[in-house]
Amino acid sequence: MKKSLYETDEAIIEGIRQDDDRALAYLYKLHFPMISHFIISNSGTDDEAKDIYQEGVIVFYEKIKGNSLELSCQIKTYIYSVCRRLWLKRLAEKGRYANRIDDSDSYLTLEDEVPVHEENEKQFGVMAESLSQLGEPCRTLLEDFYIRLQSMQDITEKFGYTNTDTAKNQKYKCLQRLKKLFFTAYKPQV
Amino acid sequence: MFDYRIYEQIERYLNKSMPAEEQAAFEALLRTDLRLADKVQEHKQLLQAMQHYGQRQSLRQKLNSIHHDMEAAQQPTVATEEVPVWKVFWKKHAQTMAVAASVSLLSVFGTLWSVQQLKAPVRQQTARYIELRREVEKIKKEQRALINGIASNETVAPAPRSARFSGTGFAISPDGYVVTSSHVIAKADSILIENKAGLRYKVTEVYRNTEYDLTILKVEDPTFGGFGKLPYTFKTASSDLGERVYTLGFPREDIVFGEGSLSSATGFEGDTTSYQISIPLNPGNSGGPLLDDKGNVIGVINGKQAGQEGAAFAVKSSYLLQMVTEMQQSTATAPVSIPANNTLLGSSRTQQLKKLQDYVFVVKVYN
Repeated sequence: MKKSLYETDEAIIEGIRQDDDRALAYLYKLHFPMISHFIISNSGTDDEAKDIYQEGVIVFYEKIKGNSLELSCQIKTYIYSVCRRLWLKRLAEKGRYANRIDDSDSYLTLEDEVPVHEENEKQFGVMAESLSQLGEPCRTLLEDFYIRLQSMQDITEKFGYTNTDTAKNQKYKCLQRLKKLFFTAYKPQV
Repeated sequence: MFDYRIYEQIERYLNKSMPAEEQAAFEALLRTDLRLADKVQEHKQLLQAMQHYGQRQSLRQKLNSIHHDMEAAQQPTVATEEVPVWKVFWKKHAQTMAVAASVSLLSVFGTLWSVQQLKAPVRQQTARYIELRREVEKIKKEQRALINGIASNETVAPAPRSARFSGTGFAISPDGYVVTSSHVIAKADSILIENKAGLRYKVTEVYRNTEYDLTILKVEDPTFGGFGKLPYTFKTASSDLGERVYTLGFPREDIVFGEGSLSSATGFEGDTTSYQISIPLNPGNSGGPLLDDKGNVIGVINGKQAGQEGAAFAVKSSYLLQMVTEMQQSTATAPVSIPANNTLLGSSRTQQLKKLQDYVFVVKVYN
């Protein structure tokens, strides 16, 4: 039933663009076996396959969201290529050089996609680290405001502050600390 | 005075929710106050990173739940084909194990091989019997030349074929009977005999006893007028240990004399039909007569033991005589007149040899 809905690559991309979770789910389920097979037949485990595949899907997803996708091939080939590169890198980090990769599909070299993704990934890691060092209630407070985009009013009630000014002052202090943590660990390249 | 109000202002600026005139004022301020500009830039980056983090987090969650759903949907099938631990282990270590296995195989076979190499000389010492039939080297060369000629497509005049193998034989009666070893004439097409004087006869095989490795040949030539009186006789009794014996044979083109003594009354591995003698022999000696000091034929040279010095063997003459009798009975040929008088008795060794050498032939085998 769903199948007919996302028959073509264009339909899937359009679905993701419109924040349709079913399109994402369909895409995810469609290509997982291919990547899983690739990773496992090149000395990986199930968990590693899942990890790499999700990263690949994220790269693809963010490309669509960022409107920077120039797809010259099938989605399948694109995801395969990204995952292949990510996996080779992972293997190299583990110190196990794959002298022969079992390719089940053709692939693109994708020179520019993966480095960008790695930069994002690094930033993402630093942010996660900084937030966890920040501790409670700062973390939840900031997440509520900046990520979940709750209003200052709701936050004041939730945390039991006497008024919004206290909450804002608290948020300001938390932000200062986060800033310090984040920028000591993260030096943006360029 | 950097407190949260400034941040609020910055955030409003970044969100583009400032009224137009306030924004203009703020931008003007930014151009003059570099410290503020830095702060704004930093703040922007931080907020972006945080939003990015948030998006990523929720995306991850989404994907995880999708994955979970997918696995849950596959559960009934997955449950049965759950990858066993050994399979995972195998996948992880297959390469290493393959290398280890090949190394161990290599070392096992390498060790076996080298042990065998060490053993090889030892094995050579185990008894081996060599028949002394000579493969004619010169002929091999000629044939090779001939083949080469054919290969190079030249028309070569067909050279007279020469013998492939040669041995020795000697007369046992004046009317053209000659004895030699069976293995000398094995697989022969035609056989020629020739003595030192250059007399050459075509012979055919008339009787063979493979048990004693003896064959009797007869001269076929119509112009053949008999060998004349033979100077030696055949000894019927067994000879004694240590008796001095000698032989004549053709291990090469010319006749060769060999001398030694009778070293054992039995032959190879206790064979009672032959003697062991200590005469150095070579391929081509097979079929030669073995004579004692008095000029009696006591045996027919037959073979030697490989790797053992001075251990040669000769079939006893009594078996030769027995075989002649058998031949007369079975083939109804004219009686073979075995010589009865020994004219060698009492003469010196050199005199004996002079008389003998006309009755010893090189046996040439063509096939």
